[in-house]
Amino acid sequence: MSICLRIPGAAVSTVLLLGLVGGGLQAADVETKTSVRVSPTDVLLSGPDAVHRLLVTAGNKTGNKTGNKTGNETGTERDLTRDARYRSLTPRIVEVTPTGVVHGVADGQGSIEVRIGNHVQLVTVRVHGSARRRTYNFERDIVPLLSRFACNTSGCHGKAEGQNGFKLSVFGFDPMADYVALTREGRGRRIVPSLPASSLLLTKASGGVPHGGGVRIRRGSGDYRTLHDWIVQGMPFGESDDPKVVSIRLTPTERQVDMKSRHQLRVVATFSDGRTADVTGHAKFQSNNDGLGNVDEFGLVTMGESPGEVAVMANYMGAVAVFQALIPSDQRLKEFPSLPEANFVDKLVHQKLKKLHILPSGQTDDATFLRRVSLDIIGRLPTPGESRDFLESQDKDRRKKLVNHLLSRPEYADYWALKWADLLRVDRLKLGHKNAYTYYRWIRDRFSANTPMDRFARELVTATGPVRENPQSIFYNAIGKPGDRASVVSQVFLGMRIECAQCHHHPYDRWSQTDYWGMQAFFTQVGFKTGPTGSSIRASGNPTTKHPRTGEPVFAHALATKMPPAHPEGDRRRVLADWMTSPDNRFFARNLANRTWAHFMGRGLVEPVDDVRLTNPPSNPELLDALADHLVASKFDIHALIGVITASRAYSRSTESNATNERDEQNYSRYLLKRLDAEVLLDAITDATGVPEKFHGTPIGYRAVQLWDSQVPHYFLKLFGRPYRVSACACERAGEPTVGQILHVMNSPQIQKKIAHAGGRIAKLVRESTDDDYVIEELYLTFFNRFPETSERQVALAHFQKAVAEKRSRAQAAEDLAWSMLNSLEFLFNH
Amino acid sequence: MSGQQRTFCDGLSRRDALSIGSASLFGTTYSLSSILAGEAKQATPSSDNSLIILFLAGGLSTIDTWDMKPNAPKEFRGPFNPIATNVSGVQLCEHLPKLAGQMDKFAVVRSFGHRNSGHGVADHYMLTGYLPGAGFNSGLKPNNQRPSHGSVIAHELGARGPVPPYVCVPTMHNSGSSSYLGSTAAPFVVESDPALPNFAVPDLAPPLSIDANRFGSRRSLLATVDRFQKRGEAKFNAKARTVSTFKQQAFDLMTSKETKQAFDIHSESDKLRDKYGRNTLGQSCLMARRLVEAGVRCVLINHANWDTHYNNFHVLENDLLHLLDGGMSTLLEDLDDRGMLDKTMVLVTGEFGRTPRINNLVGRDHWGPSSAIAMAGGGITGGTIVGASNERAERPATKPYRPADLSATIFHSLGIDPKKEFETPEGRPIPIVPSDGEVIEELFA
Repeated sequence: MSICLRIPGAAVSTVLLLGLVGGGLQAADVETKTSVRVSPTDVLLSGPDAVHRLLVTAGNKTGNKTGNKTGNETGTERDLTRDARYRSLTPRIVEVTPTGVVHGVADGQGSIEVRIGNHVQLVTVRVHGSARRRTYNFERDIVPLLSRFACNTSGCHGKAEGQNGFKLSVFGFDPMADYVALTREGRGRRIVPSLPASSLLLTKASGGVPHGGGVRIRRGSGDYRTLHDWIVQGMPFGESDDPKVVSIRLTPTERQVDMKSRHQLRVVATFSDGRTADVTGHAKFQSNNDGLGNVDEFGLVTMGESPGEVAVMANYMGAVAVFQALIPSDQRLKEFPSLPEANFVDKLVHQKLKKLHILPSGQTDDATFLRRVSLDIIGRLPTPGESRDFLESQDKDRRKKLVNHLLSRPEYADYWALKWADLLRVDRLKLGHKNAYTYYRWIRDRFSANTPMDRFARELVTATGPVRENPQSIFYNAIGKPGDRASVVSQVFLGMRIECAQCHHHPYDRWSQTDYWGMQAFFTQVGFKTGPTGSSIRASGNPTTKHPRTGEPVFAHALATKMPPAHPEGDRRRVLADWMTSPDNRFFARNLANRTWAHFMGRGLVEPVDDVRLTNPPSNPELLDALADHLVASKFDIHALIGVITASRAYSRSTESNATNERDEQNYSRYLLKRLDAEVLLDAITDATGVPEKFHGTPIGYRAVQLWDSQVPHYFLKLFGRPYRVSACACERAGEPTVGQILHVMNSPQIQKKIAHAGGRIAKLVRESTDDDYVIEELYLTFFNRFPETSERQVALAHFQKAVAEKRSRAQAAEDLAWSMLNSLEFLFNH
Repeated sequence: MSGQQRTFCDGLSRRDALSIGSASLFGTTYSLSSILAGEAKQATPSSDNSLIILFLAGGLSTIDTWDMKPNAPKEFRGPFNPIATNVSGVQLCEHLPKLAGQMDKFAVVRSFGHRNSGHGVADHYMLTGYLPGAGFNSGLKPNNQRPSHGSVIAHELGARGPVPPYVCVPTMHNSGSSSYLGSTAAPFVVESDPALPNFAVPDLAPPLSIDANRFGSRRSLLATVDRFQKRGEAKFNAKARTVSTFKQQAFDLMTSKETKQAFDIHSESDKLRDKYGRNTLGQSCLMARRLVEAGVRCVLINHANWDTHYNNFHVLENDLLHLLDGGMSTLLEDLDDRGMLDKTMVLVTGEFGRTPRINNLVGRDHWGPSSAIAMAGGGITGGTIVGASNERAERPATKPYRPADLSATIFHSLGIDPKKEFETPEGRPIPIVPSDGEVIEELFA
């Protein structure tokens, strides 16, 4: 916000500043102590071309984010870096840009004056080694420029076939290859040591010669000079013991901020010799939620207009770090009410809402709860009879009993097997009828028996012996390549996408190629052998895996573990399964907790659910950990986890928003509308109309959710985005609606036939009762699982009367009411 | 009889080769009509332009149509003869007489080719500009790893009026969808053959048993029954909001005069319908014109059966070329008559060419390395021949053009920045056109 800058030179106390900038602050909050801070106040510029960015902030410094603060603190921090005025008091020693970047001029000690209104602060700057001849290292000094200016991205010279004959390794993962490409290929024109400025590297990048990628580096800029001087010095590659980047530090790391405010980031790299350097100008930035906060290429973050939490990632030479911003609603709550808590879930959800100044919606009624939990657990609508019973029940424990009952129903296994058959790729076309079916049965049987999920994963990963007795081994048929198996297992059971690291260092995470190939090596022993009793699977031999770039051997080791000096003895998959399902493996427990949570709440704590990254932190890490702990304590009992989630008040919230939470879709302050899966929606239409669907190759009465083959031809299922099971991504189940879907429900003869079927529920209802009011009530119970409100009853009755007056039948009137219900959001969504 | 004709044709070819052949030898392009006109027509890239793709799935044999080789050995040349067209020096196949009369309206790129000869992969290559990568399963519907041209157009330019921006006729091609651009960029699929006597778009109107009155009362009932629509849920839930928007679009589609009019192919005069040809290809071409007229930005006509491994010449002569000749020539003429051709790019192509050497079954097999594509409108100069293939049409003899160049050319005409990047779900930035794609400038000369 720039308001503070327009305040004339008059005395501007920092307190006043906060009050003005905060906008919606209450008088009481102004008492909060605040001060303008400049960081750092002491700068050391070591070596030639060293720079350092100053940051100026005001407002409350965010304390321990996870700490449980008392009271109702609303203090946000503001970034005044772009608003301050900078002046060097010793221009012979040090210079400063208008946005606060300090450069050394000559060795010595100098100072910078930083002025905000009347507040003045001095920054001491020591410069040494500024005249030292700069020595270059290709990997440290040149590759970051190729990354920064997007020369080596997959859309440009970084793609597999290069660009116009010039190929760089993507994201600079192979400096030696890049060095050769620059200095030796291209008939030596890319770099002309005798005439550095005529090197294509410089003329193309700076636009002196036409360049498909346009002007990337301004002529005369510091980066241009770096490339130029590197050529002048004879293009040194550097020594193998030259310091390398060890880590980066992002400032700030976390901050509570106002909506629409802007925040400058600073990236400082630490090298293996202990030296540090400000690399903000050469780092790359990315936000995990552009709606909440957007970042530009210079590391300036601009917040959006919704409350929530956003993570902004910085990447420099493969090292990543995150800035997390908590954005409270600008409608500050005077006080956060004390809310009842059903269990630990609510405590942790409320804790977050309090920080964000968001009030949760109220609790939903029994009818909505019944519908919601039935669709979530068994993928099926309650019948009118079930609805009546539940709505009339006086039992205080009725919701809990309902959940337990649903978990024991066979449809539970049908529905959850469908979901896991997607992820584990039960594909008839690929596996053949018999294999696909036995593989599916194995999955379904696990859910039917509520097999602990650690055992489920272990049995799948370590499958050994005759396929007939170990149908889960068909997983290794469904995914044939060791590398793909490593990717799928990581994505499905750990929630992590590692396939980027197959070819280069993961651009947004810590995974290197060694990590990927270390996982791949677990799966190279697996093979099928056909004997007289059929096919069997075994792990044998001692195949080697080589790092694709260095050619060095890579030994099987799990993510985030140290590589051993040799492959584990015997079946390596056992080592992986042990590690994966260990109670100490946070990845595994968190992933299962997050996937389950997302299924019930419509949004993962990590979103997307299979993109767990350092740089995509959970929106509520405490809650994710607590759910994972619960899962571990219950020995990976999914039923128990479902019990906890469905018992929470967070789960049973209403979908109706209030003024404080209408923009929040991240923090479970209200219940989100969820699209019904294609199969669930078709079954719901079938159940509600009472006219069964007939699928190819199955007996009548088979429900869509029970179809184990996701390619059974069916127009409706195809239209509504049934997945093809070709990836391990949960995103394959298309959640996005289309106009065609809506037209189909409104107009298709198939749906009309179901509504008007003489043997269907609606016709039967009208035949059996002459009481319009009863018919209407039954229809509401059937489609919406609730009684009609008085006004709804009146509208429906009027509709019946009008139909009769216009000489149309009661059956038609009932059909029309059913049609309008079927096409309502209330029917098409789980809510 | 044919022998004599061939001699005649040969003579003509040789004479013209003095100008044509030499020109193509050096990879240059000539366009007689532009020379005659005395001024090159201005290419008019504009986001108001439209695109019609006539996709001849299976693979049109271009050596038998757009790029004949009468001087090639018998086992390559085949029995068809070239004939003159209304553009001097340009010849087409004798079985495309109507198109020969419209040659001044379209161009042919003869130095086209790519490196894939398998149906599914090549389809994806041609309809998106991208060769699919690992994990591609052509049997999926859709199978897009990258968005199709129509989806990019829908995504970038949005709807023009109440009609959808991108429509597939009569069915969706497996590679015709939107991939990571999401469902709003997916095609609206007609799912019905416009050549059928009772053609109607399914689901676009209520079932016959529901008359307009009754539908009206259903609709007003829906407005009161759907309480989420009235409350905050529809507004403050991203997913519900999309459904509400689409529901409105669905009603617009159903009630809009433009849509009804556009899809009502029966209202077209019998004479014109006959001229297009009373067959799926012809009526789909007519439907495409009607749709573009109503505001649709891209129509993808998916026409099958061009995979002529057996009896190539018999099938082409007695069936397929007749359909193509009538449908395509009438489309060009009709667009031109209505003043729409300048603003409507028409692309006619299969996924690849066919083997120049005739196989044992008198057929031709798949041939990615060389084919010819026909293009018209949207700023393209009619009568232009771009490049040449070698003497047996086995590979381009001049600067080769690839699917990425075709994509660049299409988006150039529609005023879409080919360099713009989309992010895949994995977070990988992918430009609209592969970065080595360049506009086939000669088409606009």
